[in-house]
Amino acid sequence: MRTKQEDLIRYNDGSLYCELADIWIDPNKPVKRALITHAHFDHFTFGCEEYISTNETAIILKERVGDNIKIKTFDYGEEFKINGINMSFHPSGHILGSSQIRFIFAEEKWLISGDFKLQKDETCKQYEIVKTDYLISECTFGLPIFKWDETNKIANDISKWITNSPEKTSLLFCYSLGKAQRLLNEISQTNFKGNIYSHGSIYKMNNCYKELGIDIKDTIKIENKKKIDELKGSLILLPPSLSKGSYLKNFNSIQTAFASGWMSIRALRKRSGYDKGFVISDHADWDGILEVVKKSEAKNVFFHHGDSEALSKYLVEKESINVLFFGK
Amino acid sequence: MSLKKFSELFGDLDSINSTNNKIEVLKNFFLSNEPTDNSWAIYLLTGKSNKRFISGRYLKNLFSQIYEYPQWLIDTCYLKVGDSAELITLLLKNKTTSRNKKLSNISLNELLSKTIPDLSKLNEEEKSLQIKNIWETLPEDNHLIFNKILTGTFRVGVSMGLITKSISKLINIDEEIISHRLMGNFKPSIESYEFLINKNINLEELKSKPFPFLLANNFEDKILNYSINDFQFEWKYDGIRMQLIKRSGNVSLWTRGQELVNESFPELVEKMSYVKDNFVLDGELLVWNFKEQIPFDFSFIQKRINRKSPTRSIQIKYPIIFIAYDLLEINGRDIREIKLENRRIELEKYFSKWQNETMNNITDIFRICDLIYPKDWSDVLTFKEKSRENNTEGLIIKNKRSPYTSGRKKGIWWKYKVDPMQLDAVLIYAKAGSGRRAGLYTDYSFALWKDQELIKFASAYSGLTNNEIKELDKWIRKNTIEKFGPVRSLKPEMVFEISFEKIQISKRHKSGIAVRFPRITKWRKDKKINAADSLENAYKLMKKIS
Repeated sequence: MRTKQEDLIRYNDGSLYCELADIWIDPNKPVKRALITHAHFDHFTFGCEEYISTNETAIILKERVGDNIKIKTFDYGEEFKINGINMSFHPSGHILGSSQIRFIFAEEKWLISGDFKLQKDETCKQYEIVKTDYLISECTFGLPIFKWDETNKIANDISKWITNSPEKTSLLFCYSLGKAQRLLNEISQTNFKGNIYSHGSIYKMNNCYKELGIDIKDTIKIENKKKIDELKGSLILLPPSLSKGSYLKNFNSIQTAFASGWMSIRALRKRSGYDKGFVISDHADWDGILEVVKKSEAKNVFFHHGDSEALSKYLVEKESINVLFFGK
Repeated sequence: MSLKKFSELFGDLDSINSTNNKIEVLKNFFLSNEPTDNSWAIYLLTGKSNKRFISGRYLKNLFSQIYEYPQWLIDTCYLKVGDSAELITLLLKNKTTSRNKKLSNISLNELLSKTIPDLSKLNEEEKSLQIKNIWETLPEDNHLIFNKILTGTFRVGVSMGLITKSISKLINIDEEIISHRLMGNFKPSIESYEFLINKNINLEELKSKPFPFLLANNFEDKILNYSINDFQFEWKYDGIRMQLIKRSGNVSLWTRGQELVNESFPELVEKMSYVKDNFVLDGELLVWNFKEQIPFDFSFIQKRINRKSPTRSIQIKYPIIFIAYDLLEINGRDIREIKLENRRIELEKYFSKWQNETMNNITDIFRICDLIYPKDWSDVLTFKEKSRENNTEGLIIKNKRSPYTSGRKKGIWWKYKVDPMQLDAVLIYAKAGSGRRAGLYTDYSFALWKDQELIKFASAYSGLTNNEIKELDKWIRKNTIEKFGPVRSLKPEMVFEISFEKIQISKRHKSGIAVRFPRITKWRKDKKINAADSLENAYKLMKKIS
């Protein structure tokens, strides 16, 4: 049995694992007990005996995968104990229900950031600064070339993009859960007052958000056989999986765009095949990651989900922060 | 035109994928703007301004110094972005702290003819201060264009063809005429724009410009159905395609990239001025091996093309020759419309006239191309296979009854290249690409066996499909042995068929050989690495040719 924990939480076979509590965080395979930071599918696997998450995450997950899973829920900030280790969820600002998870053991704090952002997003709780000794942070956009503009600037760009081409149908591709609702919320505050349609997968998540008390603009569920004239000048939200293949043949005279942080790089934008890219992300940018590292007051930092080499080197050289690496 | 306005136009063009829509945007831009603005847009979008004021590396160093950014961090970012101007633009975000917006409406004219050229008059410290000042006073969305102009990398998204098409649509005049008007020098001005959109197509001004080049298509089997007598056959030289022009007594030498290169080849310019007639000739510039009467490799031409005012000894060491294969204009008469076979008769006639009147003084530097006379189509193949012996790339087949048009028109000229040489080699290193391929491992090095060891013999980056690139990129990331900066050494497991045009001895390479134009022609997933070729096989290939 370990006492002083240099490795209370380890990377095991591609997922984070706490041996003392025998608990996995967003595991990529069926396990006994799984903490789920948020309801995106790349953080969820079927077949675990028990899931633990925030209330919102549980509700969204059940909406997506059905009631046939066993989830125990806790409020943000509510402490619970597993094998003598204190745990609690804290808002991470990524999407509705998303959380950081704090572990306290032997008077030392560990914080798993989960996917997070610091930017304004009225569809979920703002990121909460949590002090910790050990921080395990995501670093999807861990290079200084990634700097996000204010969300309302992007929303205005989208509004202009649609209204400048009134003869076209504007297809905006975005992730069904989180990004779509954030965009809807922001776009409803711009000058664009035309119709907004959403694909079934997005429509379903919109309703789920509404039931959870989030103010989401009403959209029309897109039917395959809508009249073309009716769609002219309007906005349609679609999941990225439909951007390739025959689905687009349903429309006439379209312009396409993808809303993602990756769109800040021209080569990626061109390679992706969309006409336009809107740089808006639900992950933290470079400055955001640095801010969280500093404000958490962590003396030891681990990174995962992304290319962490440059970020680690930078923190060690410039900020004298001890960056640790998971033994893989 | 202001930098701001041009940035907006560029932004619009860059966020459209369809060619037709781009043409529409350009057309509308030309319609709704002043001639000067339009001429500036054309000047930049066609790359006529492609002067490099500072290098990408310098730009990165500058940023690193000014904002105290570690150089390694900038280099790491570069691997993701693949373009220095864009990289610095991204890093500059939120750096415009001083709100002195004096430059917010700077004109392209001022920028290109004063602000940027003036940088070279400053010492290093002043220069970096000045660039910092410009960065911090320019609106953020103009940074990309500014950095692109600075580094002379303005080759983004819009091609000459697109500009030609949109002007052609705008004024309803044939594209060929527009592309002729766009040849050669272009200075942004009201006059140059008005010249472009003039509806009078018999413009005297065109007389100072080279003609748009006619390009060959790849060989098509369907021409085998025609009689061999319908075609003219020539060797396909691997030199620099040029138009050699003499008008009003002045000789000029234009490359296909529309550069005037008189200064690099003064001996040719001088000799041709002895000829009394005025003319426009299409042909190839080569460095000639007089002993064997065949051209030297392309590498010899590179020794000449980048050197202005070459010394006498360089001229002797790398003797050039212009081989003319077409006559397009003679004494002011444009003969591009007449049939090739008749143009050839004219070409031969004038060539012998010029030889006589200069007393053979031009023959060591100017010739007309020899024709080849195959008996039938199978004989064509025999000739093609012989082309390596002549140091040529294969054959050019020309329709005898065709006019000289512009561009890659179908049914006029064909190139029939000699089959490439091929070896199966093992992938051992990969490096991240740049530009559109930024962030993907797309530059590969391949090795051949020497006893039990794999020896690197060629690098290649073209030939895979986008899906294959993505698949290989994934494999590379999983099978890396070591990383050295941007390069990864890989587990030897993947075999590729590599095709190339030439193979020669090279002391500079560990393998002892160098190949020209290596490219990937097949991913040999069916082959294990022990079935890849050996260096010995490469040497055998070399023997077979010489």
